[in-house]
Amino acid sequence: MVLDEIAEAVEKRIRSLEGKVDEYIITVEEVSNRMLKLANGEASVTQNWRTIEVGLYLARRDGRIFYTGLSAHDPEKAAAEAARLVEAVEPSPLYAPLPRADGESYSNVDPKIKAYLEGDIQLDLAGDLELDLVGTAAGMAELGYVRRLFLNSHGDRLTGERTWFKGYMRVFRGDRTGQWSWTGVNYDNGERARKAIQVARGLAEECEKLPLEKIEPGEYRVLLSPMIAGNLVNEVLFAASAARLIFAMTWIKPEMLGQRVVSDKLTIIDAPRRKDLPEYTLHDAEGVKTRDKPVIAEGVLQTLLHNTKTAKLMGTETTGNAGLIMPEPFNIIVKPGDLGEEEQLEALGEGIYVTNNWYTRYQNYVEGTFSTVSRDAVILVKNGKPSACLNRIRITGKIQELFANVEAVGKTRWPMEWWEVPKPTLTPHILISKTKISLPTI
Amino acid sequence: MAAVHAPLGVDDLEKLVEKALSLGASYAEARYHSLGGHQVGIMNGRVFAAGTTMLSGVAVRVIVDGGLGFASTNRLTRDSLERVVAEAVSAARLSASTVKKSPVKMDDSPQGTARYSVYEKEPLSSIELADKIALIQERVKSADLSYEGIEVKGLTVFYEELTEEKVLVTSDGGMVEARIPRVSIFYNITAKNGSETRNRFYHIAWSGGLEGLDREDLREALEDDVRSLGIALVKARKGPKGEVDVVLSPELAGIAVHESIGHPSEADRILGREAAQAGLSYWREYKVGDRLGSEASTVIDDPTIPGTFGFYLYDDEAVPARPRYLLLEGRIWEMLQNRETAAVYGVRSNGAARARDYKSEPIVRMANTYFAPGDYTFEELVEDVKEGVYIKKFMEWNIDDYRWGARYVGLEAYEIRNGRLGDPLKDVVLEITSPRFYSSVDAAARDLKLYPGFCGKGEPMQGVPVTMGGPHIRLRGVVVR
Repeated sequence: MVLDEIAEAVEKRIRSLEGKVDEYIITVEEVSNRMLKLANGEASVTQNWRTIEVGLYLARRDGRIFYTGLSAHDPEKAAAEAARLVEAVEPSPLYAPLPRADGESYSNVDPKIKAYLEGDIQLDLAGDLELDLVGTAAGMAELGYVRRLFLNSHGDRLTGERTWFKGYMRVFRGDRTGQWSWTGVNYDNGERARKAIQVARGLAEECEKLPLEKIEPGEYRVLLSPMIAGNLVNEVLFAASAARLIFAMTWIKPEMLGQRVVSDKLTIIDAPRRKDLPEYTLHDAEGVKTRDKPVIAEGVLQTLLHNTKTAKLMGTETTGNAGLIMPEPFNIIVKPGDLGEEEQLEALGEGIYVTNNWYTRYQNYVEGTFSTVSRDAVILVKNGKPSACLNRIRITGKIQELFANVEAVGKTRWPMEWWEVPKPTLTPHILISKTKISLPTI
Repeated sequence: MAAVHAPLGVDDLEKLVEKALSLGASYAEARYHSLGGHQVGIMNGRVFAAGTTMLSGVAVRVIVDGGLGFASTNRLTRDSLERVVAEAVSAARLSASTVKKSPVKMDDSPQGTARYSVYEKEPLSSIELADKIALIQERVKSADLSYEGIEVKGLTVFYEELTEEKVLVTSDGGMVEARIPRVSIFYNITAKNGSETRNRFYHIAWSGGLEGLDREDLREALEDDVRSLGIALVKARKGPKGEVDVVLSPELAGIAVHESIGHPSEADRILGREAAQAGLSYWREYKVGDRLGSEASTVIDDPTIPGTFGFYLYDDEAVPARPRYLLLEGRIWEMLQNRETAAVYGVRSNGAARARDYKSEPIVRMANTYFAPGDYTFEELVEDVKEGVYIKKFMEWNIDDYRWGARYVGLEAYEIRNGRLGDPLKDVVLEITSPRFYSSVDAAARDLKLYPGFCGKGEPMQGVPVTMGGPHIRLRGVVVR
């Protein structure tokens, strides 16, 4: 077992440096993944990765801490060097005693994906996307497998393995486009992908049929697709990381706990134990047991996301959200509402259906002031029906105020993950009123 | 010259290239690529964490039957290396199975055979990590972060040094060994006046050794940013809205040329290769020689500027680097090309292929992009403005995926009235299309400053070190809010 051999060799080396390190975590991950990247309806490149990543956390009881990320050919030597360097740092205000790893080992693997990446079976990845039927499209589809081993200085040992099949496609009809993504843990012969591609195609074709119109900057009712809703709820859950608070990079504050911060129609859950999403895990980077929990329940802030370090600093308990350094969410779920997809344009009435976005940037993290730019189909809706396609628009304002104006949440949820949705996110459409829209001067 | 300390040399990589050709590749390249160094995080004057990164491995890229395949591994055993070649070929065959219109091929650019290393006057390895931390701490602690009326609520400083080492062999005769040490210092400072806050993120970075610490003054940057935060929070008022003349600082000129000329000039983006990720380009609607901006607008991308964060002499396809005139006196002049896109356009690569690390394919990237200086002084730019705005520093920016409409929100800005700088202005927003921006520039100053950054593109996302900058420039009759 390669992982065991590497981990044990690194551990042996650290233990031989008696007195230099009191606590340690060693993680070794073996990752294999393959990505088919498409442009203009053809593969622009197929990429294959096969790596072993070693992560080390070293600490002394006086509070000195040191992290190392390795994928080098000589991890033992690098471990010894890291152990030497622990002495170079001063005790950290973030130090907390290493917790016992009370999490569980896990396996959430589709054998088909694992066998494909090992070269034991063939899958028709390109054929299953049915690109011939799509017309001009760009995007990517990726299959991956990761196996991990966790050891710590308490002698705790955990393992985990998981697979994923994710991707996104942007479909072109002339200069009108639609884009949609998918994510999951199993290879379903491309079914989720084809469904997402059909949505992207439908949006492009809808926009192709509509006239192009211009609007004036101002406040509009807006229907956010799961693509843009996914981006913005990721922003909210990353803003709930206690590390963001410590580094003054969030609008969320401890005194907001138990208070309403957004609309009561919105419940956002961090769900590491959700088996159909790829970031499934039963232990975090500190080995601590993970749990599903609402971060925002009916608009009320329930918790920040903590590891043991941020929790100690803020006088609370870890939530089992440790990354190697910062606490972060795993899978994100938005609780469904009662708005059916077939009735959502009617519910929007007069407004704008924004189907995708990118480049979300903050003017001020502490106040939550941001803007984000639409891309792909932006549909002007009048009397509950699509009336025109718009060029790119910009949504501006404060993210907490945007989500304070949620009018309705959709019933049907979509599993999303792409460039702008970094964590696997299951979300429906979200209908929001009084959204500020700005436009560039031509 | 410091040697590249690679566990694999040119001979080893040549064998991988030969193996790929024997498996049916018409083109192959093999690259050993490592990034190693230290990081330190300092929060409100205290080190909260330190660390080491040591990433190294091999990337193999091949063309088979017009399909492009890439594979990488960090296991350098013989079996793993043979496997990575086979997987690159297999990946290329998968690509080829979908290719009907646009088979991938490489242009006939001259291939470099070279070995180079960035000189470190004070090598990063010359002092211990503890002493480096002390050097940074000394600069942070000696900074005067006071400004009447505001309270600094938080200061987080990140120091990172990463030395990049590469050995590249291509089947077209390219052989390049390169060693580039780089240092980055980022900080985020937050200040408050009553219930109002402002953040400032800033980045100082260079290629070379620790001598850059003396050249790039961290303490001065911190003090200047606290002053800017103070002005924004205490003195600034809402400014004029509507059409006015605008003077932009080198910082604003830099972000603008990076976003609205540099990215749109990337040939792969124009061809649609990044359409579902970083997006397309409004340059699709133009051809070389077309007028986009005024005669005062020239934008250059030059990887060969010594000491810069974006410095390199050969790209990751072994093509020699050179300055690229993207916009010349307002006309579209040159796209950024790698060998694949150059073959499509029937030109030669201008050395823009870059890969962040061994896990990354080389794609078309910027290096050091700047608005070319003109003949004016800053004072001359201002004195010819009757009513306008000077934007010195920005907070927020973004641009759409066609690189058409951008938005910049000022952190520090001033009213200009009758040729003189006036009151500080709050949250000035410039939201403008790219052609309007460059058509409106009527003058550029003689000064020039470059600002470092990491530029994101590709799938998976690759953040490569770049700089962006320019002189002070003046735009006539643009709308601010």
